[in-house]
Order: sequence, then structure tokens, then C-alpha cells
Amino acid sequence: MTDKRPPAKPRIVASHDLGRKFRVWLSQQKQAIDFSLKRLWFNPISAWITLIAIALALSLPTSMHVLVKNLQSLTHNNQSVPTISLFLKPKVTEQQANDLAELVKSQPEVLSTTVVTRDQALQDFKKIAGLADTLKTLGENPLPNIVVITPKMNDLGVTDADLEDFTKRLKTYKEVEDVQIDIEWIQRLRAILQIAERIVAVVAALLATTVLLVVGNTIRLDIENRKDEIRVTRLIGATNRYIRRPFLYGGLWLGLFGGFLSLLVVNIALLFLVEPVNKLSLLYGSDFNLGGIDLTTTLEVLIISASLGLVGAWLAVNRYLWESEVIND
Amino acid sequence: MTNKTIIEFRQVQKRYPTGQLALYNVNLTIRAGEMIFITGNSGAGKSTLLKLIALLETPSKGDVLIDGTPLSHLQARQIPNYRRRIGFIFQDPHLLYDRNVFDNVALPLLISGMPATDITRRVNAALDKVGLGKKTKSYPLMLSAGERQRVGIARAVVNRPTMILADEPTGNLDPELAQDIMHTFAQFNDIGVTVLIASHDHGLVERMQKRIIVLQRVEL
Repeated sequence: MTDKRPPAKPRIVASHDLGRKFRVWLSQQKQAIDFSLKRLWFNPISAWITLIAIALALSLPTSMHVLVKNLQSLTHNNQSVPTISLFLKPKVTEQQANDLAELVKSQPEVLSTTVVTRDQALQDFKKIAGLADTLKTLGENPLPNIVVITPKMNDLGVTDADLEDFTKRLKTYKEVEDVQIDIEWIQRLRAILQIAERIVAVVAALLATTVLLVVGNTIRLDIENRKDEIRVTRLIGATNRYIRRPFLYGGLWLGLFGGFLSLLVVNIALLFLVEPVNKLSLLYGSDFNLGGIDLTTTLEVLIISASLGLVGAWLAVNRYLWESEVIND
Repeated sequence: MTNKTIIEFRQVQKRYPTGQLALYNVNLTIRAGEMIFITGNSGAGKSTLLKLIALLETPSKGDVLIDGTPLSHLQARQIPNYRRRIGFIFQDPHLLYDRNVFDNVALPLLISGMPATDITRRVNAALDKVGLGKKTKSYPLMLSAGERQRVGIARAVVNRPTMILADEPTGNLDPELAQDIMHTFAQFNDIGVTVLIASHDHGLVERMQKRIIVLQRVEL
């Protein structure tokens, strides 16, 4: 043959071969997915027991995490709760108060400032039942102008010394008569929350191990039940990867569905808490709202639980495959 | 039958961890396309011999060569591919009882990743060959012992193996069925498949008029 085109041929064969390999891979994945889901569906009791165990194990760290996050949101910059009030000397005018507010705002630790004029303060006081009459007896408005500072909690530091330092600096303004701090409790809370975060991490690690063991054990039992099948498939040329695949998917489903279930549990528990918490925060005049599980946390929980399921299954299957390299009839 | 050697045993010895000596100094050459019976009393090592070929066991000493390559040189990841060349049939066919006949026979093809349309065609052909074309939807527990054994055979041959290894395939069957199954094996041998059958049924083996290897129990 004098045809000089042959080089093209192997390349076509190779890409065709790659396409075929991919199709084989895809169809085997599909088989394993179908098969593992069917196993779950047709063994509802053992599946549910495992799922509930995983869900309970995961819901504890998840709910603790949500709780800590909620408390942390109290200490965030954008909350109106933590404030520092500067009571100005009686002679300071409204204009001077505004100037001072501008000046204070330029400090690195300060997020925003507002001026509450003595007239505004008086109006507010009048709204409070019983006080209106008392105020009438005073001929003159006894209230000073006030500058309310919302600090950047993140830049303020956490120790009492940091806070004292900042207070001292505020007192150096000549217009200021007194500084009233409403943020000490917030700082304590932040310190406590730092510890709480660690505790959550430890609990999460322990319970993640539990999930790993629960999934591992479930898959181990599943392997035990299907030993004959594994022997036969091995004998007719199944690779370890082929044998492993349905079990890995099995673990993945357990983790993923267990994660879903735990999110459900935590959300229901939160619904239970929303009303009393809102009532409480209303009593404190706070606009605090109990936050649920946001999208990021939801995805985090699902990804972590699915990975734990996968790893648990992987450990169980690999242990079995190592042990049983040789088949005995 | 060609003159090409397909299976060769070189001074093979097999001692189980229990201390039992199953094979001692076995030298054996089998040509491609041969049909061979292995006989001997129980405990003579018939099963062991077949298992060594299928790599279900490894020899304690010596080498088993397939197409001139020692099996001990195969890497773990090459073993599945090697096993796909073999159809192994046990006395108990080891069917999967939660799947119907079709799915049992389709298993080797699923494992090797064959497209679904080809699988249907091949499985039906294999079941026709063993006379179970009408039982594809049955489950193993609905079948007789002979039918189950034939499902096992269909599963062993569906992948078109170059070697069929059968360990007492007719052990549980009545003589008529046994004869039937032996003829099925002979048909596969006619199309060039190397067939090794371990059996202690001397009468049946003699009637088939093929080469016979007799294993003696080792007394040491």
C-alpha cells in the first residue's frame, strides 16, 4: 500500500477509545448509584436507624454552632445594642455637639455617631408613662446633649484595659462631662464566645468521629451481608474499584441524607425558640432576631456529612478488601 | 486443537495454612483448545488445581504459567482482567438470589462495562445455549438444581472466556442431567474454548473420551 495517511488512524482510535472508556465509566457510576439507592430503599429499617443516629450526632454541633453565631451577631458592629454614650456639659450647644460627633467619628475604633439633643431626649422621656408629669414639674429641661457612639467591636480589643484606654481618651474632650459605657457585657460575651467556639469545635470533632463510625459500621454490616456477591463478582473479574463503588455511594447517601435530617431537626428546634427569643429581645428594646441556618451553613453541614459518610464507607470497604484478597469456596 | 500451550504447571506444590498438603510436585501441560478431566479421590487436590489457575489460591512452591507467563508475575490490578478470560463453575453455582436469571448472567458483562444492547443480546444467546431462553425473568429459587447449574454455566461463558474451569459441575445432579451438562461443555470446546473439569464421577468421565488427569492423594 502506498497510501500515506495511516498516522491519522491511531489518533481516531485513541479518542474513540477514550470516549468509550468514559461511557463505560459513566454507565458503571449510574449502575452503582441505582444499586446503592435501591439498597437503601429496600432496607428501610436499618437505613432509618443509621440516618437518625447520624442526624442526631450532627444536630448537636450544628445547633451549638447556630447558637454561638447568634450570640456573636449581638457583638457585631452593625448591632445597635452596644453603645457608648458621651454626656456633654450643660453649656455645650447643639452645634458644638454636632462638631464633637464629627470629631469622634474620625477615631479608628468608632463606626458611627449620632447626636441626641436635649430636646429629643426630653420628647423620648415624655413618652414613658408617668415621667411626663414629673418632667412638667421641672421648669427647665434638665437633660444634657448626648453623643451616642457605636464602636467597631472588632477594633476595640477584648480586654478591660483596652476599653478603659478608649474611655480615657474620650474623657479628654473638654465638652465631655461623663462617659457611660454599655459595652462591657458585650466584651465579656465575646470572650466567652471564643471559648464556646472552641467547645463547639471539640464537640463537632467528637461527633464527626461518631458519624464516621456509625457509617463505617453500617457499611461493614452491608458488606457482611453481601460477601457471597463480592466473592462471585471478584471471581468473574470485578476490580476492587467496581466492588467498592456501590458501598461508597451507600456511605455518601447515608451521610448526605443524615445531614438533611439533622438540618431539619435543628430548624424545627429553632422554630420552637423564635417566639420566646423575640419576646425577650423586645423587652430589652433590641432589634435582635434569632437567625436560622443560612445557606452557607446548610451547604457546610451537607458537604461535611456527605464527606464523613464517604470516608466511613471507604475505611470499611478497604479494610474488607485488604483482608480478603483470596477467595475460599 | 492447536499445539500452543495455554496452561503449564511447573513443580507446583500447595500447602494450606492448616498444614494440609494438597498438591505435591505437579507438572502439567495443557494445550489451547483441549478438554481435560481431572479425577481423583476427594482431598486429592482437584479443586486446588483449578483454584491455582483462577488465582483463587497461590502455589506454595513452583509456578503456574498461562500463555507462557507465570501468574506470580501478574500485578494485583491485572488480576481482574486475567479472570475475565476464565469462566469458573462451582459445584454450587453461587448465584445471586436477589436477582433474576438475566441479571445473574449479565453480571460479568456489567463488570467489563459492555453497552446495554450488547448485554441483552449476549445474555440471551448464552441462556439459549444452556436451554434456559424462556427463564430469563425467573429467580434462582424458582429453578431446579440442574437449571441453577446451567445458569452458572451461562454466566461463566457469557463473557466468551478462553478457558472454562469447572469444579464438580455435576456433583448435585442426576446422571441424565450430568450427561447433558457435559455435552454443553463439549460444545464450547468444539468452538475452541479450553475446558478443564474436575470430577470424581469416573463413569461419566470415561464416556466423554477425553484426556484424563488422575491426581493421587499425597501421603507424606
